[in-house]
Amino acid sequence: MSDLEEAVDREVAADRSKEDVVLRVEDLQKSFGGLVATDHATFEVERGTITALIGPNGAGKSTIFNLVSGFYEPDGGRVEVNGVDVTGMEPYEVADHGLIRTFQTPRKLEGMTVREAMLVGPRNQPGESFVNVLTRPGAVGEAETRNLEAAERILAEFEIDHLATQPATDISGGQMKLVELARAMLAEPEVLLLDEPVAGVNPTLRHELADQIRRLNEAGTTCLLIEHDMDFVMELADPVVVLDQGSVLMEGPPQRVQTDPRVIEAYLGGGA
Amino acid sequence: MAALDYPRGYWAELTRAERGVTAFLVAFGALLLFGLLSGGLAPAYFLYLVGIGGMYALLSFGLNSQWGFTGLINFSVAAFFGIGAYGTALMTGNTSPIAGGFNPLVGLLVALVLAAVLAVLIGVPTLRLRADYLAIASLGLAEVVRTIVKNQRGWTNGTAGIRGIPSFFEGWPVLATFPTAMPTLEVVVSPGWRTAIDVPFVGLGLEFEIPASTLVLGTSFWRALLNVALVLTFLGASYALLRRVHRSPWGRVLRTIRSDEDLARALGKHTYSFKMQSFVLGSLLMALAGVFYAHLNLFVSPGDLDPITTFYVWVAVILGGSGSNRGALFGGFVVVAIRQGTRFLNEFAWIPFDVAPLRLLLIGVLIVVLMRYRPQGVLPPQRELIWPSAVDEAPSRPDSGVREAKGGGGGE
Repeated sequence: MSDLEEAVDREVAADRSKEDVVLRVEDLQKSFGGLVATDHATFEVERGTITALIGPNGAGKSTIFNLVSGFYEPDGGRVEVNGVDVTGMEPYEVADHGLIRTFQTPRKLEGMTVREAMLVGPRNQPGESFVNVLTRPGAVGEAETRNLEAAERILAEFEIDHLATQPATDISGGQMKLVELARAMLAEPEVLLLDEPVAGVNPTLRHELADQIRRLNEAGTTCLLIEHDMDFVMELADPVVVLDQGSVLMEGPPQRVQTDPRVIEAYLGGGA
Repeated sequence: MAALDYPRGYWAELTRAERGVTAFLVAFGALLLFGLLSGGLAPAYFLYLVGIGGMYALLSFGLNSQWGFTGLINFSVAAFFGIGAYGTALMTGNTSPIAGGFNPLVGLLVALVLAAVLAVLIGVPTLRLRADYLAIASLGLAEVVRTIVKNQRGWTNGTAGIRGIPSFFEGWPVLATFPTAMPTLEVVVSPGWRTAIDVPFVGLGLEFEIPASTLVLGTSFWRALLNVALVLTFLGASYALLRRVHRSPWGRVLRTIRSDEDLARALGKHTYSFKMQSFVLGSLLMALAGVFYAHLNLFVSPGDLDPITTFYVWVAVILGGSGSNRGALFGGFVVVAIRQGTRFLNEFAWIPFDVAPLRLLLIGVLIVVLMRYRPQGVLPPQRELIWPSAVDEAPSRPDSGVREAKGGGGGE
């Protein structure tokens, strides 16, 4: 690589030559008081990939997730889902454009069984309208039957159908992660944002989660994931986007990222 | 009517809590029957108490659909109750400074519209914020409403209140004249049943005896009976409505918001709109209770908006089990039983002090004990809530319900 090429590469660290972009993050900025959490971050996620977002602690990965999914409002920049500008939209509107996220710590739905918690997933259910519940019970019932079948099918695909009628709060942390993933699939996302899908999960379930994510991806779901477990990322993701101090340091296939001196330096705490 | 056809099977399917509640209700019913037959409790007054109990149950339904379903902390139950009562009183009462003399149905409508408008007004600025803001704002709102009612003499007669409110059935065919048209019945209770219980240790002998007496069922009795029918109609309709929406996907989104609003948002639910709907629904039910109260009492005053009502209703909902409709129903009646029952305790001469003023203390102790030993309430929602036609097989143990499983774990 010549000096000139390397300079260009640094300026736009992310690969901008992708053809079918499902999520585009452009020049995104966010600061909290004096702390710059996201510093002109730019990257793209190509349809059909499993893209990983990695970086040392405090690199701004979670902030980017919150900005993209609408939980934070950016100070500047743009987010596009499927070519639609969703910058500054409410989370439910972003979800309506096909972007669904999960959370780092599994969210517990108290007082629900697993399959009941799954049924929160499908979007635009007719029974979510108060008026429909009273005036069109037939349609509500049909949709509910369909959704329940879909929920049980997906639970079976995730091999957790034996948990269907268990209290959603009584299952293990790893199983909660599986349920959360399964529920997100019921919302039929075009792009799925997974926030540390295997944090605190035992090795057996970790493999299972990796298999499931790969299976979903092969079935057509684009994934963008944050993860600290490097083996997991290297096994699953391509490409990998490296974030450091709020901006994109580089992007590339896992092998190249792993051996890149800039990445090693960022992780070892060189920082500047 | 499974309970009648297979009493044994029905009993076996109940949870322990349900059995306890059933036994308690039977015992309490027997006590009331004894009171009625022995002449200690006048029938018309008894029906009045049932009406008040129904009113509290309605208020509890309202709070349950806000706090129990969605987790909205509303401390202005009394304000919405008062809006309902004043709404109908101002339209129908003949000392109303605004527009007396309308049919009570008009009053009902006006009261509900007023409550809905007020709910939206308070909801718009607070429901987007964290849960605590609604709590603070609603607490303030309740006082604002009460102060306005008390001081705006031109609109509300101030502290003098509004008199001359007709009964709810005024102007209806048949029902309007039903109480006076009914003949006065005299029921003779024949004596002869008596029993004596010796209380050990204390050295007291209690004697129960039904003396010969005649119960006179006159106009006031029939009027009270009509009121009870009215409140039972309100209750039945509200219960049917809440039961349906609670099991619907709509109710499921509310329960998701209660557990974790961010999760609901991430899954594409417009949580603000859902919270607003839940808040307005609850406020309407509270106003409905107010409408009933105005036509029961036939007089409203600013004292009816005292914040104490709010806290009694909270006690009822927590006692019954947050999120459970039948729990709210049970809690509403229990609170009235405690409030009114303590008046009767003084009849027992062997209690050496005046019990009635300790009412609040008793309720406080009850709540502390409940929170320690059964934080989920007496009748928590247990079965999973999925639209009935979609579930063909129930989970293997329906009553092992979700909350039951972690029951007793007070520290969780």
